Amino acid sequence: MSAPPSASGTVRERSRDRSVLASHLHRIAPLLLVALGLLALFQARDMGLGELTAPGPGLWPFLVAVLLTGTAAVLVFVDPAEDYEPWTPATVRIMGGLVSLGLFIVLFEALGFIIPAFLMLALWLRVFGREPWRWSLGLAVAGAVLFHLLFVEALGVPFPEGVLEPVLGG
Amino acid sequence: MELWDGILQGFSVALDPTNLLYVFLGVLIGTVIGVLPGLGPTATIALLLPLTYAIPPETAVILLAGIYYGSMYGGTITSVLLRLPGEAAAVVTTFDGYQMARQGRAGPALGIAAVGSFIGGIVAVIGLALLAPPLAELAVEFGPPEYVALTVLGILLVTYLGAGSVLKSLSMAALGLLLATIGQDPITGTTRFTFDQVSLFDGLDFVAVAMGLFGVGEILHSLERTDAVRAVTSKIKHIWPTRKDFRDSSGAIARGSVLGFFIGVLPGGGGVISSLASYAMEKRRAKDSSRFGKGAIEGVAGPETANNASSTSAFIPLLTLGIPANVVLALIFGALLIQGITPGPQLIDQEPGIFWGVIASMFIGNLMLLMLNIPLVGVFVQLLRVRAGILAAFALLVTMTGVFSVNNDTFDMWVVLVFGVIGWLMKKTGFEPGPLVLAFVLGSILERAFRQSMLLSGGSLEIFVTRPISGTLFGLMALIIVISLVTTRRRKSVFGRVEAEDLAESEEATPSDAATGSTASRQRDGGPVVGRDPDVAEGDPGAEAVVRAGDPDPRAGNDPDIPSSRGDR
Repeated sequence: MSAPPSASGTVRERSRDRSVLASHLHRIAPLLLVALGLLALFQARDMGLGELTAPGPGLWPFLVAVLLTGTAAVLVFVDPAEDYEPWTPATVRIMGGLVSLGLFIVLFEALGFIIPAFLMLALWLRVFGREPWRWSLGLAVAGAVLFHLLFVEALGVPFPEGVLEPVLGG
Repeated sequence: MELWDGILQGFSVALDPTNLLYVFLGVLIGTVIGVLPGLGPTATIALLLPLTYAIPPETAVILLAGIYYGSMYGGTITSVLLRLPGEAAAVVTTFDGYQMARQGRAGPALGIAAVGSFIGGIVAVIGLALLAPPLAELAVEFGPPEYVALTVLGILLVTYLGAGSVLKSLSMAALGLLLATIGQDPITGTTRFTFDQVSLFDGLDFVAVAMGLFGVGEILHSLERTDAVRAVTSKIKHIWPTRKDFRDSSGAIARGSVLGFFIGVLPGGGGVISSLASYAMEKRRAKDSSRFGKGAIEGVAGPETANNASSTSAFIPLLTLGIPANVVLALIFGALLIQGITPGPQLIDQEPGIFWGVIASMFIGNLMLLMLNIPLVGVFVQLLRVRAGILAAFALLVTMTGVFSVNNDTFDMWVVLVFGVIGWLMKKTGFEPGPLVLAFVLGSILERAFRQSMLLSGGSLEIFVTRPISGTLFGLMALIIVISLVTTRRRKSVFGRVEAEDLAESEEATPSDAATGSTASRQRDGGPVVGRDPDVAEGDPGAEAVVRAGDPDPRAGNDPDIPSSRGDR
């Protein structure tokens, strides 16, 4: 909001610039929604709106997109900044977590369930849960085997062909 | 006579050993997740949706309903002992329940809450059995314009009665409606927004969207908060309330049952609204209202009764009109859709086993909860020792593999991941996922009904106002908008007071807690609803509260019942 008082003029200037920028940063969210709404508007128009008497496939998406664009456009101006949580260093951890989940899906398709499940549990327990190594590895092995038994043996879900599964009799 | 036949049929379904097991599982899981802060009924039901494929529809609804009302019981425990509402509706219980615990009366607070919840639940079950069939009969006459009116009403109420900004909720509802149009056009078969991806031809899977937004989004968001959970160290004694406790709270329980029932029937009304209303009512009726906020047993009994009654009666619009009253019921609605059953006026006639079976199971489930809660509170409290990191890791694995099992398709896993990111970003930016999911579920029904109405009327929008029922409903919506504009200030004042007291309280507690690493911010985080509600901090009511909370409190400072922090490990 307001620039913090500081000794040197240039520092104050710069920090005010930054805080002015930061105080408008939260408007990105509604702006993204506006962009999305506009994109949908044009796409819907291309699908064919038809008439109210004979609605085309694009009419309903068009109406909905108008509502989205309209509400989001107002939000760009009226939404209070207090609604937004600050970005913290922990945000980086979350990015890491997301990458690990994406990697899990890729490995799941390639290697089957057990190995990626073990790796993901171990990573999340050790890094995000801050469990000691002993607990992390133990729980990860137990979890991977247990869920393999639950999903494959008990529920009969056809997981992708795995590397380890034949050994366990999958 | 028909009623008795229905009830008999219901009990024959609910007393089936498999269904009995699932009621028990449901209420047990519900209580457990009600106790665990951070994992609410919405996230849990979203996570368990894939499991419901494998079981018959009535069993699925029995399980999910059990989780819902079970969480109402469980949420009380942490509200009273730790001032951490385990789920949203239990916020009100922190006002007086926590004060009772500080005075060494945690036992009776939990006991009266369980008894009240039981009575409220039973009253609502009876009301549900009596009211639903005639309502469904009325609704059989409904045509497309009425369905447009009903679905719009449902979406509108959820956006208006939610905690956040109405405009933001409305834009999320629009986004949900837009996402629902992905896939083939229901009438012409044209593909829409599929970007030539074959996996998108059938649209986004509801389960994947819900699991991403509520399950993964919630877990990611919790990673950012580093607050530790505090354990309860003191033993809970004398759970069964005394005769005087019963005398003091019997009126509150009776009023709470009726009030909760009627508020729950309104779309958007289940849970927190009903408990707030009951608290306000008890405080107004009391001879000495200054006792409230200082451990008045009526302040626990009334709201707890009301929230359980409303969570039961909230099933009425779903089972009779096919309109989910809130997000949890939207998920149950989705579970039924997956099973190939569209809830609506015909449900009672076509699927009497589901309708009456669920009602009978609620009766049994409430009985089980009463029996579980009174003797086993101590056991449930131990659950707080489960570390959040372990919970998160396993919940994620279950989510990712669970969603695969729905269609045996890894595409759904990516959908979960994408919506997990969206859900997390929405939490960070104060957008609510509830209206999005509700609108997503109702989107295709609304579109179809709208287009059919247009064909019926020859393109005239007048059809929505000239037909008596849809006209009345649209009139009602106009009324709701007006009323909500008037009452927004009052709701803010209730929330505002909690927050301000919370703040003052945590400042008081900081000196003694500093050694163990407790901070004011953590206490604020404790109340998920209150803490994240953007409206909370503003408004004048807060000022009054600061003065009030500033009153010297002889018990503050050294208090045997305030649990000690146990840090990260």
